[in-house]
Amino acid sequence: MSGFLSAHGYEPGPTQRPFLAGAISGTLATAPAVALLYVLGSLAIEARILGLPIAATIIAGWLLMAVAGAAYARLLGRAANDRRGGWLFGMAFGFALWAAGGVFILPLAGDGQLPTGLAATGVFLSLVLWGGCLGAILPFVHRRIHLELDEPGIAESLGPSLATHGPAKR
Amino acid sequence: MIRVVSLRKATLAGVAGALAWTTVLGAVDLLGLPLFDIVKALGTLAFSADDPLAWGALGLVAHSLVGICWALVYAYFFWGRLPWPPALQGLAFSIVPATLALFIVNPQFHLMHLDQGVINLSWRTLLPSITLAQLGGLLSGHAIFGLTVGAIYTRPVGYPACSARPSRALHRRRSTSGDTRRQPGSNFIFATGIECSYPTIDHGRWRRDEMDSTGHYERWQQDFELAALIGASHLRYGPPLHLIFTGPGTYDWGLVDGPMAHLRDQGPEPIVDLCHFGVPTWLGNFQNSDLHRELAEYAGAFAARYPWVRFYTPVNEMYVCAKMSALDGVWNEQMRDEKAFAAAAFNLARASIAMTEAILAVRPDAIFVNSESSEFCQPCCPDPEIQRIAQFENERRFLPLDLIYGHSVSEGMRRHLRDHGIKDTDFDGLMAREVPRRSIIGVDYYEWNERLIDSDGRARSLGELFGWYVIASQYYDRYKRPMMHTETNRMDASDGPRWLWRQWHNLQLLRSTGVPLVGFTWYSLTDQVDWEIALGKAIGNVDPVGLFDLNRDIRSVGLTYKRLIDMHMDQPGYGTCPALEKIMAQ
Repeated sequence: MSGFLSAHGYEPGPTQRPFLAGAISGTLATAPAVALLYVLGSLAIEARILGLPIAATIIAGWLLMAVAGAAYARLLGRAANDRRGGWLFGMAFGFALWAAGGVFILPLAGDGQLPTGLAATGVFLSLVLWGGCLGAILPFVHRRIHLELDEPGIAESLGPSLATHGPAKR
Repeated sequence: MIRVVSLRKATLAGVAGALAWTTVLGAVDLLGLPLFDIVKALGTLAFSADDPLAWGALGLVAHSLVGICWALVYAYFFWGRLPWPPALQGLAFSIVPATLALFIVNPQFHLMHLDQGVINLSWRTLLPSITLAQLGGLLSGHAIFGLTVGAIYTRPVGYPACSARPSRALHRRRSTSGDTRRQPGSNFIFATGIECSYPTIDHGRWRRDEMDSTGHYERWQQDFELAALIGASHLRYGPPLHLIFTGPGTYDWGLVDGPMAHLRDQGPEPIVDLCHFGVPTWLGNFQNSDLHRELAEYAGAFAARYPWVRFYTPVNEMYVCAKMSALDGVWNEQMRDEKAFAAAAFNLARASIAMTEAILAVRPDAIFVNSESSEFCQPCCPDPEIQRIAQFENERRFLPLDLIYGHSVSEGMRRHLRDHGIKDTDFDGLMAREVPRRSIIGVDYYEWNERLIDSDGRARSLGELFGWYVIASQYYDRYKRPMMHTETNRMDASDGPRWLWRQWHNLQLLRSTGVPLVGFTWYSLTDQVDWEIALGKAIGNVDPVGLFDLNRDIRSVGLTYKRLIDMHMDQPGYGTCPALEKIMAQ
């Protein structure tokens, strides 16, 4: 997948701030995810597994999701700015996080315990929802915070001497 | 955007795939062979197994939603990557969701159906045993899903050639008021373009339409604003001939009135490209010997409707169009013979001339930018046959320009044309023509334009060996007319800025030798779609060649071009371009 993305020139452009846009979007997307966790009773189970109070679990989750959002934006680069497909890429990322984190890391971090029943369903759905929201929000956040074309220094490295460089290496 | 995806087709494919899975496995169940029931597994997450209506409905909806998501993943990342029939591509793709289902989702379903709050981690909880029926159900279900999705999700870009409209709605917006464009002058042309190719493939049944695929029909206003934002003074712009010219004497101007008004009022100044690799379905293809009459009618009508337009490209890249349509069998008539090529080249040249005359009748001071792909073939070795092939190709590349500029051809080429159906009277008629004074040769250049004729007589890409300076000089030496660099880009986005500066330095050098050069173009404004396969199949791959990507986010090359323009636009020889001034004084 990364090769496919790379072949299509996915590197964030000179005006983009992928980490910041991803972190903001990841933070915003956590709100509906936490709400879903709460409604389905997963939040209490997660707190119990981690041995933390619910508030601390939420704060830890929020921080983790901000970092995950930044990672998503950097990983997907330009593809993350896609208003049509963003929700899908985000949802796939949320699914991957669930498969890696919800299934393996949570029990390892919490003394080998796993949620079951509705709580397990809640963990799954909340991560997919988080991903979908992240992917849907990011293109709009990105547009608000990208650098202007006239920003000082932005085109410094793009001058005529570039012609002397060899072809870019992959 | 990494791919142009048809959301409608993917949604349909996903739902159909999920339903096909449910139906086939349901039928197998009725035959007494119960397999894994995905609908029940999903539905009973929320409803009791005693309430089949409730879990059935929820399970079906959930399964369809999951199907849509997987079909979209297929559309974005998998479709068209294997050289197999579509259904088999879908079948191969189904290995991905099947594997995830087997090792991740199914064990988790197991946990979700327990009701113990928490459970201790063990291999048994992570990988519970699975029955043969479950395994069979999962694998065969995914296979049915994959086959169905693959069979349905095809050709996400383009539309049936007989259809009057692109798949996506055309936005008939009015231009916002205002008049911010600089008055038309004789400044050096810093141009970009809207990629607008519209050939047919599949023997005339399927229309490729780059303005549709790249989202220009929906975002034309933003595109024009972005071109202005980076400082482009001119825009190569090709209104969709196949949608506007709906029949003899009938035009749907409503499609372009808004965009043209915007360009008139706010710029950039358009270089209007009237025929770009395709014709309306009712005109057939480039074997149509009456093409020149019909296209001249269109050109005259266009000039009359938009009398303020100064720059025209009557027919874009005639050589490439004839070669791809009649020699390489990729577009339009999809023929592969010399006679068809000669006919296409001749018809295109005749159309270009007739269109030029029709425009001049309305706007006598129009300026014509005759864009052509610069081509060059280098023989690999002293083998006389290889030398002959290279020499022939190096002469044939000039043929359409020779025809419109009345430049004599060698006796060998003349004989070749005669042998392939071009009558002496028709040929001599073009040669006797008086070429308009305000004609500029547009020389396009890409990394694949230089070729080596290898020892088997095949043409292989050489990359940038001699460069635009050398190849463009050959065109100048032949025609001695003002020139413009009318297209270039780089498929490797990370190399775009370097390529741009190298092209610019080529242009500077040619200019310094006294060649009257009037402009430069990075083509195109946005990324393009499927050009890495010459539009020959409707895949939807994005080629990252634009100043902006298809999300309209600027690329490094866009910023580089802005810097280049800012650096030069007010310098002597650019603010007012002597070569262009001279053309306009004629």
